[in-house]
Amino acid sequence: MTLLSLLFWLLVGGTFQVLMPAWRYMGQPAFPFVLAVVLYAAMSKKSRYFVIMALLGGILEDSLSLAPLGFSGCALLAAGGVATLLRADFFTFRATAVSVLGAFCTAVATGVMAILLHVKGLIVLTPAETGWRMLGSALLGAIVVPVMFRLMQALERRLGMREEMV
Amino acid sequence: MKDRRWIALCAIGLIVLAILNLPDTASLRVKGAVRDGLSPLQGALRGGVREVREIIRYVRGIGDLALENRALFEEIVYLRGEVRVARDLERDNQMLRELLGFSRRFPTRLISCEVIGRDSTGWWQTVRLDKGAESGVAEDRAVITPDGLLGRTVAVSDETADVLLLSDPTCKVSVRVARSGVLGIMTGLGGAPGEQPACRMDYMGLTADIQEGDEIVTSGLGGVFPKGLVAGRVTRVEVAADGLYRTAFLQINADLGRAEYGFVVATDADLQAAAKGLTEELTGTKTDLLGESAP
Repeated sequence: MTLLSLLFWLLVGGTFQVLMPAWRYMGQPAFPFVLAVVLYAAMSKKSRYFVIMALLGGILEDSLSLAPLGFSGCALLAAGGVATLLRADFFTFRATAVSVLGAFCTAVATGVMAILLHVKGLIVLTPAETGWRMLGSALLGAIVVPVMFRLMQALERRLGMREEMV
Repeated sequence: MKDRRWIALCAIGLIVLAILNLPDTASLRVKGAVRDGLSPLQGALRGGVREVREIIRYVRGIGDLALENRALFEEIVYLRGEVRVARDLERDNQMLRELLGFSRRFPTRLISCEVIGRDSTGWWQTVRLDKGAESGVAEDRAVITPDGLLGRTVAVSDETADVLLLSDPTCKVSVRVARSGVLGIMTGLGGAPGEQPACRMDYMGLTADIQEGDEIVTSGLGGVFPKGLVAGRVTRVEVAADGLYRTAFLQINADLGRAEYGFVVATDADLQAAAKGLTEELTGTKTDLLGESAP
């Protein structure tokens, strides 16, 4: 059931990410709906769910863009890995904490993706532009991730699923 | 416990490496399958949004409908006359080309497509069309709108095609100034679609005849874009930083940010290939069905 619910959100997130145009400002970052699902899995589910979500989310994102297969998976794994490390130390599900976590992890994912695409020679970005874009994506992450967390929690409550805080 | 964690990490690493090193054909097949699988959902959602927008537009403009209708009617009459003249000119042109022994321009067909999505990561400026190889869309084909050039197809699956927009920094087009014939290379500036100026035209000599307001069309060189497609208009001309050539900044004619439809410029060969594929598929299905039903 947990996997089904996460897959549902992954599909919804991917579709919304494609439908919503990238934000016009601060380097045009995309809205991180898929990343929010991965972070949710990293924060509230067993590790295997997070890994599955990161790999599937990566394939989904890469399929819906021009990125080579596996690049987004690496970025999502890195961001989710950071979230998993933070979860063990101090994390709570308060909106402000989720917001800060979302901002940080989105910036990490953007940075990893920028490095991979730059090394492969697929994008033309200066370090300043990359930094600006990371800042922009952090801002979007700070808004989108808490909203997605709330929605996912609400659905789980409706379905009578208990959160597995492992 | 620690051993298990290391084993899990190694397994993840191996899976990632395997995905990253998939052969191109397998990678394209996976991407195409995911894209085709999601395209009906995207199309339906996009259609819903468009319907709502149309209703709002209709309600807002209900008072001006009679006037708009009249204006459109006048435009139809005018355009019909233009088409008649253009047909005569086309016929004369072909006849003269044949007399001079020039080769015929390659025949093209337009495939109308609907925009159903955008790049999901925001790293590229692309839009996704609802038609792909099955409809005759091939890679590296020009995509136009009634206002002008939109971009070129870069990734084509069976049912969808991604279009790299003119404003993307990796999109380069060989263009010329319609008035003077000066050639140059147009490159996207990477700004958000709709922001101006969106493109730059480089590599024109210091004495090149180009000025503000000049119309820029495709030159036909390079083989991707047919000759004479309207790309944009010059907004500013400068001498490049190294002082060796002039650079013009362009405003793109097509509204890249709001494009809802596009026309892929396909060749007859593309359409024939699509028809052949479809026939083969149908024949294959027929054989399977016969095979299944056979006693």
